[in-house]
Amino acid sequence: MSALLQDRRAVLLLGLLAILALAPLAAGDYVLSILITVLLQAYLGMSWNVMMGFAGQFSLGHALYVGLGAYAGGALFVHYGTPPWIGALAGMAVSAAVGAVVGTLGFRFKVMGVYFALLTIAFAEFTRVLFDHWGWVGASSGLFLPPAPNNSPDNLWLLRGSTTMFYYVALAMAAGAFWFSRALLMRRIGFYWQAIREDQDAADALGIDVFKNKMIAVLISASMTSLGGVFLAFFNNNLYPESIFSMHRSIELMLGTIIGGIGTLFGPILGAVVLTALGEGLTILGAHIGIDGVKQIAYGICLMLILVLKPGGLWPWLRKAFRLEGDGR
Amino acid sequence: MSDNATSLSASRTITRRQFTTAAAAGALVTTTGLPLRSARAATPLKLGVLLPRSGHLALIGQACQRGAEIGLPMLRDMGYSVELMNADTESNPDVGRTQAEKLIREGANMLMGCFDSATTLAVAGVAEQKGVPFVVNIASEPKLTEQGFKYVFRNFPSAGMLGKGGLLLYKDIFAATGVTPKTAVLLHINDSFGMAMLGGINALMPKLDMPFQIVETIAYDPKARDLSIEVAKAKAAKADFVMTVTRLNDAILLVREMVKQQVETMGIISPGAPGMYDKQFFKALGKYAEYCTTNVPWFDPKQEMAKTLEKTFEKAFPEESCDLNVGFTFEAVLIAADAHKRAGSNDPQALTEALRATNLSKRAMLGGAIKFEANGQNMNLISAAVQNLGGKPTVTLPAASAEAKPVFPMPPFKGRS
Repeated sequence: MSALLQDRRAVLLLGLLAILALAPLAAGDYVLSILITVLLQAYLGMSWNVMMGFAGQFSLGHALYVGLGAYAGGALFVHYGTPPWIGALAGMAVSAAVGAVVGTLGFRFKVMGVYFALLTIAFAEFTRVLFDHWGWVGASSGLFLPPAPNNSPDNLWLLRGSTTMFYYVALAMAAGAFWFSRALLMRRIGFYWQAIREDQDAADALGIDVFKNKMIAVLISASMTSLGGVFLAFFNNNLYPESIFSMHRSIELMLGTIIGGIGTLFGPILGAVVLTALGEGLTILGAHIGIDGVKQIAYGICLMLILVLKPGGLWPWLRKAFRLEGDGR
Repeated sequence: MSDNATSLSASRTITRRQFTTAAAAGALVTTTGLPLRSARAATPLKLGVLLPRSGHLALIGQACQRGAEIGLPMLRDMGYSVELMNADTESNPDVGRTQAEKLIREGANMLMGCFDSATTLAVAGVAEQKGVPFVVNIASEPKLTEQGFKYVFRNFPSAGMLGKGGLLLYKDIFAATGVTPKTAVLLHINDSFGMAMLGGINALMPKLDMPFQIVETIAYDPKARDLSIEVAKAKAAKADFVMTVTRLNDAILLVREMVKQQVETMGIISPGAPGMYDKQFFKALGKYAEYCTTNVPWFDPKQEMAKTLEKTFEKAFPEESCDLNVGFTFEAVLIAADAHKRAGSNDPQALTEALRATNLSKRAMLGGAIKFEANGQNMNLISAAVQNLGGKPTVTLPAASAEAKPVFPMPPFKGRS
C-alpha cells in the first residue's frame, strides 16, 4: 500500500513537472512571469525550510543571503563580465561564510529561539547599512545590470534573454531544490536535523553532534538562498540594498513555507502557489473594485484565516484529506 | 452529409453583391491606403499606466494617478485620443514587472510610469524586451537614460540634473535678494534618496563654486518621531541658513522643532526634495510654513496649460496638492498622446519613432519645448525656486516665470502674524 502511495505521489509529481515544462507553449509572458514568481518563491521557501523546517533553527533575516548572492552575481557581472553561474559560486561561498559566522556566534553562545532569530535580523540589517555605503556596488543609488536588447537571442550562460528562458531556469532551480531537499531529508543528516528540531538536548544525549549538524543546515540553507538572489538580480536587472536586504523580503521568503507547512517537502511549493494565486486574484479584484490597498487588506485577512484554520500548514491537511501520507511528509 | 455539401457549396459560390463589395474594398486598399491609416489613428492609444498606488509609496502614487486622469478632458479637447489602462505596482519592482507584462498582454500600446527608480528600471527591462515604448513620468535614476534603452523616454530630470539645477538656484536667490550667506547646515534623511542627494551635493558644491560652506551635515531617519537632538545640533552649528533634504512628515517635524527651539535662521532652502511644498505642510505648520523654499522642477505659471491644469485640479481635489507629481504625470500622458497623434498608428515602432521626434512647446512644466536626446532624456528641463508665500507654493525664480520676488532672509519665527 505504501509503495502504491509513493507511486501515486511520484506520478503526481511527474505530471506536474510535465505540465510546467510545457507551460510556455500555451502561456504568454504574463502568465510565465507569474509562474516565475511562484517557482522563485517556492525555491527560496525550500532553501529556508532546510534551516527552519528540517533543523529547527529560526532565521528571520534570510534576505541577507538573497542580497549577498544577488550582489555577488550582479557586481561581478557588471564590473568584470563574470558569467552569473561563476558569480553564483562566489555568492554561495560568501553566503556560506557569513552563515558560518552567524551560526558560530549563535550556536556557540547558546543563542536560541527568538534570540537567534533576532541575531539573524541584526546581521541582515548590518549588511544592508554596509551595502548602502559601499560605492563599488553602487551604494544606496543601486547597482544596474545592462538589459537584454529587444529580440536578442537567449543566452543561458550569461542569463540574458526572454521570460521563457528565465522561466525554465526558475523551474530547474525549484525542481533541483525539491530533489535536493528530499535527498537531504532521506539521509542520516535529515534524521539528525529532525531529532535536533524536536529536542536538541535529547539529540545531544543520543550522541548527535548538534553544533556540527546545525552548522551544516545553516551553510546549505544560506548557499541555496543566495543562488535565488543571483536569479533575482539577473531577472530584475537592478539592485538596491533597501529592497534586497529588507525585512519585508525575509518575511515574504518564509511566508509560503509557513502557509504550506514548515518541515514538509511540498509545503513551500504549495504555499508559493496559494500565496501567488491569492495575490494575483486579489490584484484583479482590486482593479475591478477600484479601491487602492484593498488587496493588502484582503490578503492579510486571508493569511490570518489560513493560519487560524490550518495552523500546521495546508500541505499536512491536504495530505491527510487525500491520503497521501506515504513516508509521512 | 447534405449539411456538409451545402456548406462546401456555399463556400465556393460568390454572389454578385459579395464580389462587388470585395472589389470595392480591394480597390480602396490598393489605391489610397489613406482611409485605413486614418482609421488606425482614430483608434485611441491604450496607455498602460503603472504607478505605486499601494504600499509604502501609495500617497505619491495616488497623487501621480490623479495627474494622469485629471488632464484627460483637456487632452480630448486638444484632439488627442488616449485610454488609460491602470495598474498598481504596489511599490514593489517585482509586481511592477508582472503588471507591465499583463498590460502588454491586454493590449497596451505604450507604457507610462512608475515614480520610483527601482520599479521603473524593472519595467524598462520588460518594455525593451517587448519593444514597447515607455514614457517615464518621474524617476531620477541616471541609468534609465544611460543604459542604452531604445524604448525609454524620460520627461523628468535625472538626479544629476536635479541636483545641479537645485544648487545653482541658491546663487540666483542670493543674487536676486542681494544677501549672500557664508555658512549652511545640512539636515537630510538617510534613506537611499537622501544619501544620493547628499552624495550629489558634496560632489557638486566645489564644482559649482558655491558662495557658502556647509559647516555641519546631520543625517536622520525619515521615520523619526522626534528631531529635537538633530535640531539642537543644527542650532549649535550657528550657520547662516538651513539646507534640507526631507520627506513630508520629517519636514513638518523639523520646522516645528526649529520654532520650538527658537532656531532663527536666514532661511530654510531645500536643493530639491518633497515635503515643504505639500498642502499638509501648510496645514500642519500654518504661518511657520511660510518662506520655506524648495528648488524643484515645477509648473510654469506663465503657461496657459499649467493654469488650466491647476484650476481643474483645485476644483476636483480641493484637499490635495497640485504639485510636481501631478504635473509631470500629466505631461507624460500628454507626450504619449501627442506621439500617438503624430504616428497615426498604434504600432509600437511608429509610436517609438514619433516619441523620438517629440517637440512640444505647449507644456505645463518649466523649461523649453519637450524634446528628447538620443538616449531618451528630455533635454529642456529647469528647476524653479518655489517659496511658500501667502499660503501657497509660489515660483520666485527664474525671473521670467516668477509670480513673486524671493524673500531672503526670511522674517524670524517669533512675532510672525
